[in-house]
Amino acid sequence: MAVHLSAMALFAAAVAVVFGVLVHDAPRDQVRLAVRIFGGLVVGAYLVGWLMIGLYG
Amino acid sequence: MPLPSVTPVPVPDRRSSSASPLTLCAAAWFVPGAGHLLQGRTEKAVVFFVVLVGMFTVGLAFGGRLFPFRLAEPLVFLAAAAEWVLGLPRLVAALGGFGAGDVIRVTYEYGNTFLIAAGLLNALVVLDVYDLAIGRRR
Repeated sequence: MAVHLSAMALFAAAVAVVFGVLVHDAPRDQVRLAVRIFGGLVVGAYLVGWLMIGLYG
Repeated sequence: MPLPSVTPVPVPDRRSSSASPLTLCAAAWFVPGAGHLLQGRTEKAVVFFVVLVGMFTVGLAFGGRLFPFRLAEPLVFLAAAAEWVLGLPRLVAALGGFGAGDVIRVTYEYGNTFLIAAGLLNALVVLDVYDLAIGRRR
Protein backbone atom coordinates (compact mmCIF):
# COMPACT_ATOMS: atom_id res chain seq x y z
CA MET A 1 0.00 0.00 0.00
CA ALA A 2 2.77 2.41 0.98
CA VAL A 3 4.62 1.67 -2.26
CA HIS A 4 1.55 2.38 -4.36
CA LEU A 5 0.74 5.59 -2.50
CA SER A 6 4.26 6.98 -2.53
CA ALA A 7 4.78 6.06 -6.19
CA MET A 8 1.53 7.77 -7.11
CA ALA A 9 2.40 10.88 -5.09
CA LEU A 10 5.88 11.03 -6.60
CA PHE A 11 4.49 10.70 -10.12
CA ALA A 12 1.85 13.35 -9.48
CA ALA A 13 4.45 15.72 -8.06
CA ALA A 14 6.78 15.31 -11.04
CA VAL A 15 4.01 15.84 -13.58
CA ALA A 16 2.68 18.84 -11.66
CA VAL A 17 6.08 20.53 -11.50
CA VAL A 18 6.74 20.07 -15.22
CA PHE A 19 3.33 21.42 -16.23
CA GLY A 20 3.55 24.32 -13.80
CA VAL A 21 6.94 25.43 -15.09
CA LEU A 22 5.99 24.77 -18.69
CA VAL A 23 2.79 26.79 -18.74
CA HIS A 24 3.69 29.81 -16.61
CA ASP A 25 6.69 32.09 -16.25
CA ALA A 26 5.97 33.71 -12.90
CA PRO A 27 7.01 31.51 -9.94
CA ARG A 28 3.79 32.26 -8.05
CA ASP A 29 1.66 31.10 -10.99
CA GLN A 30 3.87 28.07 -11.49
CA VAL A 31 3.46 26.97 -7.87
CA ARG A 32 -0.27 27.60 -7.94
CA LEU A 33 -0.79 25.49 -11.06
CA ALA A 34 1.51 22.74 -9.81
CA VAL A 35 -0.39 22.49 -6.52
CA ARG A 36 -3.71 22.31 -8.37
CA ILE A 37 -2.48 19.60 -10.72
CA PHE A 38 -0.94 17.61 -7.88
CA GLY A 39 -4.13 17.80 -5.86
CA GLY A 40 -6.25 16.90 -8.86
CA LEU A 41 -4.17 13.85 -9.69
CA VAL A 42 -4.05 12.53 -6.11
CA VAL A 43 -7.71 13.18 -5.34
CA GLY A 44 -8.72 11.82 -8.75
CA ALA A 45 -6.73 8.64 -8.16
CA TYR A 46 -8.42 8.18 -4.78
CA LEU A 47 -11.87 8.69 -6.25
CA VAL A 48 -11.22 6.28 -9.12
CA GLY A 49 -9.75 3.79 -6.65
CA TRP A 50 -12.84 3.87 -4.44
CA LEU A 51 -15.05 3.66 -7.52
CA MET A 52 -13.20 0.55 -8.66
CA ILE A 53 -13.59 -1.00 -5.20
CA GLY A 54 -17.31 -0.26 -5.38
CA LEU A 55 -17.63 -1.76 -8.83
CA TYR A 56 -15.30 -4.74 -8.65
CA GLY A 57 -14.27 -5.15 -4.99
CA MET B 1 -12.26 57.48 -36.61
CA PRO B 2 -11.62 53.76 -36.13
CA LEU B 3 -8.05 52.61 -36.03
CA PRO B 4 -6.97 50.23 -38.78
CA SER B 5 -6.77 46.65 -37.66
CA VAL B 6 -3.27 45.32 -37.31
CA THR B 7 -2.42 41.67 -37.68
CA PRO B 8 -0.08 40.65 -34.87
CA VAL B 9 3.25 39.42 -36.12
CA PRO B 10 5.06 36.79 -34.02
CA VAL B 11 8.16 38.33 -32.54
CA PRO B 12 10.94 36.07 -31.31
CA ASP B 13 11.68 36.45 -27.61
CA ARG B 14 14.61 38.73 -26.87
CA ARG B 15 16.19 35.89 -24.92
CA SER B 16 15.98 33.62 -27.96
CA SER B 17 19.14 31.92 -29.09
CA SER B 18 20.66 32.57 -32.50
CA ALA B 19 20.40 28.85 -33.17
CA SER B 20 17.68 27.65 -35.52
CA PRO B 21 14.43 26.25 -34.11
CA LEU B 22 15.36 22.81 -35.42
CA THR B 23 18.71 22.90 -33.62
CA LEU B 24 17.05 24.02 -30.40
CA CYS B 25 14.48 21.24 -30.65
CA ALA B 26 17.19 18.68 -31.30
CA ALA B 27 19.07 19.88 -28.23
CA ALA B 28 15.89 19.77 -26.15
CA TRP B 29 15.19 16.25 -27.35
CA PHE B 30 18.70 14.97 -26.66
CA VAL B 31 19.17 16.58 -23.24
CA PRO B 32 16.02 17.59 -21.33
CA GLY B 33 16.16 21.33 -20.64
CA ALA B 34 18.97 22.05 -23.10
CA GLY B 35 16.63 23.89 -25.45
CA HIS B 36 15.50 26.27 -22.74
CA LEU B 37 19.09 26.68 -21.57
CA LEU B 38 20.15 27.78 -25.06
CA GLN B 39 17.27 30.26 -25.04
CA GLY B 40 18.48 31.80 -21.80
CA ARG B 41 15.79 30.31 -19.58
CA THR B 42 18.14 28.74 -17.10
CA GLU B 43 15.69 28.17 -14.25
CA LYS B 44 13.23 26.30 -16.45
CA ALA B 45 16.08 24.30 -17.98
CA VAL B 46 17.31 23.16 -14.57
CA VAL B 47 13.80 22.15 -13.47
CA PHE B 48 13.15 20.17 -16.65
CA PHE B 49 16.52 18.43 -16.47
CA VAL B 50 16.23 17.49 -12.81
CA VAL B 51 12.60 16.36 -12.92
CA LEU B 52 12.65 14.49 -16.24
CA VAL B 53 15.98 12.75 -15.71
CA GLY B 54 14.83 12.03 -12.15
CA MET B 55 11.61 10.47 -13.43
CA PHE B 56 13.57 8.36 -15.88
CA THR B 57 15.96 7.21 -13.16
CA VAL B 58 13.12 6.37 -10.80
CA GLY B 59 11.47 4.40 -13.60
CA LEU B 60 14.59 2.31 -14.03
CA ALA B 61 14.99 1.89 -10.27
CA PHE B 62 11.38 0.66 -10.08
CA GLY B 63 12.25 -2.13 -12.52
CA GLY B 64 10.68 -0.54 -15.59
CA ARG B 65 11.53 -1.79 -19.04
CA LEU B 66 13.21 -0.06 -21.95
CA PHE B 67 10.96 -1.23 -24.74
CA PRO B 68 12.29 -2.19 -28.18
CA PHE B 69 10.78 -0.95 -31.43
CA ARG B 70 8.58 -3.91 -32.32
CA LEU B 71 6.01 -3.25 -35.01
CA ALA B 72 4.19 -6.51 -34.32
CA GLU B 73 3.15 -5.11 -30.93
CA PRO B 74 1.78 -1.58 -31.43
CA LEU B 75 1.67 -0.67 -27.73
CA VAL B 76 5.27 -1.78 -27.25
CA PHE B 77 6.24 0.26 -30.30
CA LEU B 78 4.51 3.35 -28.92
CA ALA B 79 6.11 2.87 -25.51
CA ALA B 80 9.52 2.63 -27.16
CA ALA B 81 8.86 5.78 -29.16
CA ALA B 82 7.84 7.65 -25.99
CA GLU B 83 10.94 6.52 -24.13
CA TRP B 84 13.22 7.59 -26.98
CA VAL B 85 11.93 11.18 -26.76
CA LEU B 86 14.29 11.39 -23.80
CA GLY B 87 17.38 11.10 -26.01
CA LEU B 88 20.54 10.96 -23.94
CA PRO B 89 19.16 9.31 -20.79
CA ARG B 90 17.57 6.59 -22.93
CA LEU B 91 20.81 6.07 -24.82
CA VAL B 92 22.93 5.93 -21.67
CA ALA B 93 20.50 3.52 -20.01
CA ALA B 94 20.57 1.23 -23.03
CA LEU B 95 24.35 1.29 -23.28
CA GLY B 96 24.65 0.72 -19.54
CA GLY B 97 22.52 -2.40 -19.70
CA PHE B 98 19.68 -0.99 -17.62
CA GLY B 99 15.98 -1.39 -18.22
CA ALA B 100 15.67 -5.13 -18.68
CA GLY B 101 12.33 -4.94 -16.89
CA ASP B 102 11.58 -6.87 -13.71
CA VAL B 103 8.03 -8.08 -14.31
CA ILE B 104 7.59 -9.76 -10.93
CA ARG B 105 8.35 -6.60 -8.96
CA VAL B 106 5.36 -4.77 -7.53
CA THR B 107 6.69 -1.51 -8.98
CA TYR B 108 7.21 -2.82 -12.54
CA GLU B 109 4.19 -1.04 -14.03
CA TYR B 110 4.99 2.10 -12.07
CA GLY B 111 8.48 1.97 -13.55
CA ASN B 112 7.09 1.75 -17.07
CA THR B 113 4.73 4.62 -16.32
CA PHE B 114 7.57 6.82 -15.11
CA LEU B 115 9.75 5.97 -18.14
CA ILE B 116 7.01 6.60 -20.69
CA ALA B 117 5.62 9.71 -19.00
CA ALA B 118 9.09 11.24 -18.75
CA GLY B 119 9.48 10.90 -22.52
CA LEU B 120 6.04 12.31 -23.24
CA LEU B 121 6.62 15.26 -20.94
CA ASN B 122 9.89 15.96 -22.75
CA ALA B 123 7.91 16.00 -26.01
CA LEU B 124 5.88 18.87 -24.55
CA VAL B 125 9.10 20.59 -23.52
CA VAL B 126 10.44 20.27 -27.07
CA LEU B 127 7.23 21.77 -28.47
CA ASP B 128 7.54 24.64 -26.00
CA VAL B 129 11.09 25.28 -27.20
CA TYR B 130 9.82 25.39 -30.78
CA ASP B 131 7.02 27.81 -29.92
CA LEU B 132 9.46 30.08 -28.10
CA ALA B 133 11.96 29.91 -30.97
CA ILE B 134 9.49 31.01 -33.63
CA GLY B 135 7.90 33.64 -31.38
CA ARG B 136 4.52 31.96 -31.04
CA ARG B 137 4.93 32.05 -27.27
CA ARG B 138 6.84 34.55 -25.16
